[in-house]
Amino acid sequence: MSSNTFVIARRVMLQVVRDRRTIVLILVVPVVIATIAGFSITDKTSLNMASPGILATLILFFGFLITGISFLRERTLGTLERLLASPVSKMDIVTGYLLGLLLFALIQTLIMFFYMVYVLDISYQGHLWQILVFQVLIGINAVCLGTFFSAFARNEFQMIQFIPLIIIPQVFVSGLFIPTNQLPVVLEWISKFLPLTYGVEGIKALMLQGQGLLDIGKDIGVLAAYAVVVLLLAALTLRQKS
Amino acid sequence: MTKTAIAVNNLAFNYGNLRVIDDMTMQIESGTSYGLLGPNGAGKTTLIRLMVGLLKPAGGSVSSLGKAPTRANAKNIGYMPQLPALYSELSVAQNIDFFGRIYGLKNLKERRQRVDETIKVVDLWEKRNTQIINLSGGMKQRVSLACAIVHQPPLLFLDEPTVGLDPELRVHFWEYFTDLTKAGHTLIISSHTFDDAAHCQKLAFLRLGKVVAQGTPLELCNATGKKNATLEDAFLYFIRQGEVKNNVQ
Repeated sequence: MSSNTFVIARRVMLQVVRDRRTIVLILVVPVVIATIAGFSITDKTSLNMASPGILATLILFFGFLITGISFLRERTLGTLERLLASPVSKMDIVTGYLLGLLLFALIQTLIMFFYMVYVLDISYQGHLWQILVFQVLIGINAVCLGTFFSAFARNEFQMIQFIPLIIIPQVFVSGLFIPTNQLPVVLEWISKFLPLTYGVEGIKALMLQGQGLLDIGKDIGVLAAYAVVVLLLAALTLRQKS
Repeated sequence: MTKTAIAVNNLAFNYGNLRVIDDMTMQIESGTSYGLLGPNGAGKTTLIRLMVGLLKPAGGSVSSLGKAPTRANAKNIGYMPQLPALYSELSVAQNIDFFGRIYGLKNLKERRQRVDETIKVVDLWEKRNTQIINLSGGMKQRVSLACAIVHQPPLLFLDEPTVGLDPELRVHFWEYFTDLTKAGHTLIISSHTFDDAAHCQKLAFLRLGKVVAQGTPLELCNATGKKNATLEDAFLYFIRQGEVKNNVQ
């Protein structure tokens, strides 16, 4: 990681900060979604059971969306072409985006988490800091996936289509609604290759069973490896499409 | 002895099955303004992308400042793409500062000074804190130029830099380009207008991915054999010749 990574990260953050409407949406949307989730699940026990999975899914969703659209704009506006002709490496660009947008993904995560805990009054076990660290890992995966899949979209419309293609199927087979071992064999097999499966499994273990990060080493390991592989793929597939 | 800034040898490039650069050869001397003139689809932008290293040749070679155009060599290059290619949420100064940073201007004091100087060069001092989204097309072009020159590169690629500019601004740009070449910078400028081409010290006429002719504007005009021939006459003359002529210079 070179100093250019941080130059790019700083610019990405500055872009978001200077777009006030986006900032307002980043702050308000998680609250709206968490409120809807909270009011639609009236039974307290069910809400407590569902909230870790909902959190993991929303982190992945928001992170994927904000990164995918941001990166796509970089391509379509021609700034990516300009960057690729400069001394910055493809890895600088991808990791710069990761650092820059991760901050906003984390802000959304924290808002949702604390809103669910203090306003919707969900209860959780385990250490708060460990839950937040694991959420960061899910956020990193979301940003990496958004960066990678933006390479396959030529406009915002196409990018939006990746949400039902990449995110929604994970919601159904990740163990959010039905434990993965109760899924049909094919879907259970597929679920083993999806990051949300490990995100949901890990966050449930932390929040519902009070386990620690050391207890969910497999989930952490898979998510970390997933992030590294997708990040490398994102750098390799980086092309200008202006 | 004059140094060569760009050496293109038997360069070829394909988009799929379509050959868009076909056996191009040219030498561009340091400290000159070199125009790539041709209609849409002639291969101007593709040639510039090959020269800056954005594309890999399908055949032949290209070198910029004696080296293959790689990332390691990119610090010495300035590139202004056809689109303004700016960050619309950021201000004029923030955009220029960002490109200054990634081109190696790490020292804060030096960079600020360079950014301020560059903003004055493109005559946008009053707009330095304005977001790009609130600028006119001509102003965006000026910021785009500023982003390409903030690190004062010896070699500058300008892809259709004057498209969409009003006549006054176009004159201002060309005065600045002339100053840059006098200061020893090499400028590669693509254009499809003969007005722009007349300002360049040397020209290559491009058509369908081939170099049709190369030389100074005067040499190209004289080659037609007509008195008071214009560059337009010269271009048409070489097109009608129907063969590649690289021997004018």
